[in-house]
This record gives sequence, structure tokens and C-alpha cells, in this order.
Amino acid sequence: MSPGETARPVRPRPRLRTLAITTGLIAFTVFAGNEVGFDASTSWEMWTNPLWGMFWPIPWDWVLDRSNVLDPLVETFQIAILASLIGCGLALPISFAMSRLTTPNRPTYLVCRSVMNVVRAVPDLFWAKLLVTAVGIGAFAGTWALSIFSLAVMVKLFSETVDNADPRPLEAARASGSRHLPAVRTGVLPTVLPEYVAYALYVFELNIRASIVLGLVGAGGIGRVIEAQRQFFRFDRVLGILLLVFVIVLIIEQFSVALRKRLV
Amino acid sequence: MTTTRTPAMAPRPSPPTGVARRRILLALLLVIGAAWSLTGLDITLARVLGAPSDAWVIFRQLWPPDIDKALDRGVVGKVFESVYIAWVGTIIGAVISLPLAFLAATNVAPRWIRIPVRQMFNAIRAVPELIVAVIFIPITGLGPWAGTLAIGLHSVGTLGKWATEAIEGIDTGPVEAVEATGGRWVSGMRWGVLPQIMPIVASFWLFRFEINVRASAVLGMIGAGGVGAELVSQLMFRNFGTVGAVLGITVLVVLTIDTLSAAVRRRIIAGVARTSGPDTDGDRNAEALRDLTGLRR
Amino acid sequence: MQPHGNSASPSLRADQTQFYDTGVLPGAPVSWRLPYVIPGPDYYPARVIRFEDVSVTYRGGVQALRGLDLTIEDGEFVVIVGLSGAGKSTLLRALNGLVPATDGSITVGGVEVVGASAAELRALRAQIGMIFQTFNLVNRTSVLNNVLMGRLGSVPAWRSTIGLWPADDRERAMQALERVGIVEKAYVRAANLSGGQQQRVGIARALVQEPSVMLADEPVASLDPVTSRQVMGDLRRINRDLGITTIVNLHYLDLAREFGSRLIGLRDGELVFDGNIADVDDDTFMEIYGRAIGDDDLVGTGDDPT
Repeated sequence: MSPGETARPVRPRPRLRTLAITTGLIAFTVFAGNEVGFDASTSWEMWTNPLWGMFWPIPWDWVLDRSNVLDPLVETFQIAILASLIGCGLALPISFAMSRLTTPNRPTYLVCRSVMNVVRAVPDLFWAKLLVTAVGIGAFAGTWALSIFSLAVMVKLFSETVDNADPRPLEAARASGSRHLPAVRTGVLPTVLPEYVAYALYVFELNIRASIVLGLVGAGGIGRVIEAQRQFFRFDRVLGILLLVFVIVLIIEQFSVALRKRLV
Repeated sequence: MTTTRTPAMAPRPSPPTGVARRRILLALLLVIGAAWSLTGLDITLARVLGAPSDAWVIFRQLWPPDIDKALDRGVVGKVFESVYIAWVGTIIGAVISLPLAFLAATNVAPRWIRIPVRQMFNAIRAVPELIVAVIFIPITGLGPWAGTLAIGLHSVGTLGKWATEAIEGIDTGPVEAVEATGGRWVSGMRWGVLPQIMPIVASFWLFRFEINVRASAVLGMIGAGGVGAELVSQLMFRNFGTVGAVLGITVLVVLTIDTLSAAVRRRIIAGVARTSGPDTDGDRNAEALRDLTGLRR
Repeated sequence: MQPHGNSASPSLRADQTQFYDTGVLPGAPVSWRLPYVIPGPDYYPARVIRFEDVSVTYRGGVQALRGLDLTIEDGEFVVIVGLSGAGKSTLLRALNGLVPATDGSITVGGVEVVGASAAELRALRAQIGMIFQTFNLVNRTSVLNNVLMGRLGSVPAWRSTIGLWPADDRERAMQALERVGIVEKAYVRAANLSGGQQQRVGIARALVQEPSVMLADEPVASLDPVTSRQVMGDLRRINRDLGITTIVNLHYLDLAREFGSRLIGLRDGELVFDGNIADVDDDTFMEIYGRAIGDDDLVGTGDDPT
């Protein structure tokens, strides 16, 4: 093969479709930026806004006071724990019902799947607000909302695991004349249980974070305190609460992540 | 066979005790956790039993949705405002997180910079968008810009973490090749790493956009722009028909965006699988994405 | 950098400007420019490579090279053989500083590699091409972009980062592709090439650096016998045509015999053979490998079924 034998190729032009998509995306971004009030000239001014001074100094005496912050914070974690237990507990049977592998019959499968898709499409705090309206302001509504939210997430994660489980043990159990439920119990459950526990811990981590903001819409916990202080313009207190919460959440998460790593 | 053989009399093992003990411990822990939580939350049996009917009273009124009233109040525009917030927020997050991810990846960044950047990603991820918005609202005032900033900042955490993982999954051969030609670190990242991760990172951005659409809908509830504010005010006035319409339109838009975006992501992943060379493990990234897309956060 | 032993040799950078016209408008199409010609043998300054008592110890205590002494003259074609783990790869990587030598001195054309600063290393590496066993191409980008990556040591980082390659460098890349005979694939994605073609892109990427030294680390280990011979032939031809000092790590002894002129044998990080390939017989290989020669050590002809 001697050099220069073949002709150099012509540089391919960018395809029209690529150009159109790029232009479209840029145009949409500019338009959307305009709509949300992005303004290059003022977006830097906000960082020098004197109102930042309202966040400082942090009144640690107030923040670390038991009735002001710590009690609602405990309530927050109680909501998260209870909601995780309820959500993950309910998720176990529902996941089995909406997995192709283990569903008892087709109608159950379809109903579970479509209901869960709709439930998940509604943002979590919309649920909280609806339930606050229905059952009244407070932690009860929050627990309920968070339970629904964890159920939706857990079912999504876990049913996929069940879908991908090894079908052969189930077949073997059925071949031995087992009824549906015991067959699933002995043939599938043991193989997916470790992942179930791992996902449950993951959902718990999500719930810890989500429970903090529940109170912003009246569903109990520390968010209620943040909302109140925010309306009194006590941003120093807000920042203090947030820093405290942040540290505690990180600690809880470290525990949960460590536990998850050991289990999987 | 005519004769039965007596089996060798090996001692039967006793069931292991450790497992049973661990199970009991776990069950005990869960029960105690539940009991402790119940006592703190002022949950009585009467309330639990009454709740479903209370909720049903409200939920029943969501149907039929009062579409006309919702359209009159410009709910569609509000939903789209949420989409714009999510889009611009995602772009802010993408633009900031991508360069930072190069500083956080184990295989291309030195230790002294990697640790702080990683910790920063973790710290940002730990703060929900709503909380970020609570901090920004006093500065920027109520409105979509506060929500956009909140979404953008929070996205830096997750997008940065995902991009870091994508970089850690690359074939480092090309980076070594750039090093061997006397190129700078930046050149190694631009020509050795970026082409490898770009498709996967783009699909991460899309995935984050899907999540951000939901998040920005919620942000309106505290006044950071978008459809959430409408939901709150209609609930306050107990116009449940309109609430039903707001929910319906939101869910429709959310699901449409999810479907479209998921289709684009699938195409990107298919492209990645196609162009991964025979002796690289670029598919590992595609796998990572498949794992990741199961999670909401 | 340390002063050059033979100070008559001018700096490479200054020389390069003679070979292409930089007076045309920046960004002008390549066709407007004077044809750029890959410089011939006379162009390259004498680059003697010297290893003096070089040792490399990896973190964790593995000693890959032990007190190596070696001189390679300008324009030589050297084949290094040895078992895997004998230190072949370390030797090449110590030469361009990818693996820092823990002891001793390595000089390329009088320039010290051991202990050089990052900037000095970059300048040195820009003049040393490297070819890899696994090609190390970016699969998802075009062949031309892959070849242009060879210019990263010379083009300012901001220019290459935004993809604003100088027209001269594009021309260099095209000519390098022509030299290895795959210019028609310039705009094809690297992933769509066969193994042999990919390694040619790897060679073109090294060539486009206009190196005075070419290092090839097991360049044919991932290729079939026929392609292996073609690639080795390419390397040999480039060495003869351009006079680029070439050092090739090889595992296959028959290829070493076919293409090498000087053979270096490494065993456990020590130099155990250094001589002309004509003087080498099976006993020499047995001494280098420390065992009998098996089929695995030969690439074969490619047409026998084993």
C-alpha cells in the first residue's frame, strides 16, 4: 500500500437534522431563560444583595433549644421512620402483584401497574398538600403522604428486581404442585430479599430528606418551624435550623449507606 | 434395588443460631421504631380509621375536573413555566457540574482536589431543592428565578456525582496517549475523556430534567414559580374541581416529558452500545445508566 | 532542561517553521496553503538515547527495572523481547516519563528525563511518539480527531480545546494518514475500523507529532498474524524513510527476527542480551525467556490452523 494512493475524503457537512436540533435547543433555552426571569446583568447583583446579612449571625441558643427545634426534628424523623415502614411493607405484596413473573393474574397486574404509574406521576408534595386539606394540618397527613410516596418509589424499584429474578425456582415450586402464594414465598422471595432490604434503606434515606420539607406545606415536622420563621423574616434562625438538620441528615445517611453496603 | 442401605450415621447439623438471632433483633428494632414513632405523632386509632373516608370526601370531588376554570386561570402556562424552570435549572446544573466532575474522578484527578469536590457534591445533594429555594427567595424575591436557581444548584450535586461515575468508568488508554504526546491535563480531558462520556452524560442530563420537572412543580407551592402555587390557592379556596384539573394537566405534562425523554435516552444508549469498541468496556457506562434510571434521585 | 551535549543541534521548534507557511490568513482553507511536507531524515536532530544505571521501583515494592545501562543511537530500529513482567513496558514508559525512574539517569538527545519538571516532560514527550498495545484511540470520535490528538503537545491548549486546530496541523494529520494508507477513513468513527486499521491510526497519531523517537509498546499483541506483519512493516518503513529512532516491544520471537536489526533481551528487569539480530539463535531466546520456546511465543504465519 503506497502512500497517497487513495483520495482524501471530503469533510462531511453537519447533517441538517443535527443543525435543526441544535438550533431548536438553543432557541428553547434562550426563550425559557427569558421566561424564568434570567437576566445576565442582574444575576450577579443578587450575590452582593445586602439581604444576605439577614442570615447572620446564627442564634445558636434558639436553634439548640429543645422545644423550638429539637422536638419538631424528632417528629420529622418519626414521620420518616413510620412512613418508610408502611410504604415498604405495602410495597412487598404490591411489587409481587405487579411483576410479570409473580403476578397472580393479568387484571391484578394491569390495575396495580396503572394505579402506581399515576401515583408516581403526582409530585410528592402535591400528595402532602392534598392530604393536609383532607385530614387536617399536622404530622398525620405528612406520614400518610410520605407513605404513599415511599410506596410508589419502592414498588418501582423492587418490582423491577422481581421481574429480573431467576424464574427457575418458581417453576420448580409450581412443578411440585404448590399454590401461587407459597410458590412465590419459597421460590422468589429469598432471592430478592437482600435487594428489598437495600432498597428499603434507600427509600428511608429519601424519606429523611423529604420529611424535612413536608412541613413547608403544613404536613408536620421541622418544615413547619422553617416555614413559620421564614414568614417572620428570621432567616438567621432558618439558616441555623438548616445547618443543624443538614449535619444530622448526613450522619443518618452515612449509617444507612454503610448498612446498605454490608447487606448487598 | 432390593436392599435398603442404612445411611452413615453422620450427626445432623443444628440450624445456625446467628441468622435467627439477627432476624429477631431486626424485627424487634422495627417494632420499637414503629412504636416510638407512633407515640410521637399523635396518631390515634380513631384518626387512622377515619382518615380514608375523610380523604375520599376530598378525592371524590376532584372528579370531574373543572378544565374550563383551570384554562381560564392560565394553568397550562403555569405548567409550562414549571417546565422552563426545570429546563434552565438543568442547564445551569449541567454547565457547572461537568467541569467539576473532572476534578472529582478518581482516575483523572489528583487526590487533593478530588476529595473536597466530592464532598461538595455530597453536601449539595443532601439539601433538597425546596430548602435551597427557601434560602434564595428572600434574596431574589418570589418568582421563577428563585426556583430556577434552586433546581440548578441542587442538580449540580447529582449531575456532578453521576458524571464523576461516568468518568471513572472510561477506558483511560486515550488519556495516557494524550499524556504521551506531551498534551496538558486539560487536553487529556477534552480529547481523551469527553468524547467517551458525552453520550452518557447527556442522557444523565435528560434524566435529571425529568426529575426536575416534578421538583419545579412542587417549588411553586412555596412561591418559587410554576404550577404549585395554583394548586395551593385552589385548595385553599376548596375549588376541588379546579384542583383536579390542575393535577390532571400536571400529570399529563409530566408523563409526556418522561416518555419523550426516556425515548431519547434509549436511543442514546443504543448508540453507545453500537460504538463501543471491541476491546473497551464502554458498555459499563450504559449499564450504569440503566441501573441509575431505576432511581428517582 | 539540561544543556545539550552536542550544542550544534538546533531546537526542534525553530526548525519546524521552515517547513510550512504561516504567513497565510489564519483559518484559511488548507487548499490555499503551500503543500506541507513531512520532513525527511536530514531534518531530525541527532537523538541519542542513554540509560545509565536506571532502576524503577513501583509503589508497593515491585522492582521493574534494575540498574539498566543502554545506549541507542539515532535512527536505530530496536526490538525488545522478554516475558511479560520482564520490564519491557516499563522501559518505554520510563523513557518518556510516563513511569518515573526511581534511580539513575535517562537522557534523550542530552535532555535529562529523570526529575524533569512537568513542562519539560511535556516538551520532551511532544518529540517522542508512542504506540500502544490497545491502540488507545477514542472510539467515539473520528479518525482525523484521533490523529490530531498527536498535536496536543504543540498546539496551544485553548485552541485544541475548542477544536480550532491550525490548518497546518490538519494537513499534517492528513499526510500522516496517507503515509499509513488509510486517509479515506479520515471522517469515519474510530470504532468502525478493524484492529489493524485502528493501529494504523495509532501510528499516524504518533507520526503527526513529527517525533524523533518512536516507542511501540506491544503494537501487534492485539492483532492477527497477517495484520501484525503489515503493522510491523509500516513501522520498519517509517524508520527507514524518516530515520526516526524506533523502539518496539515484542513478545513474538519470529516477528522480532523478521523485522528487528538490534535485539535487546530483558529478564526480571535486567538486560540479559544486547546484540545484532543476526547473531541470535534459539538458545539466546531460551536464555532471555528462561524456558523453552513454545507456540505462544510465535505469531506464526496466520494460515496454519493452530
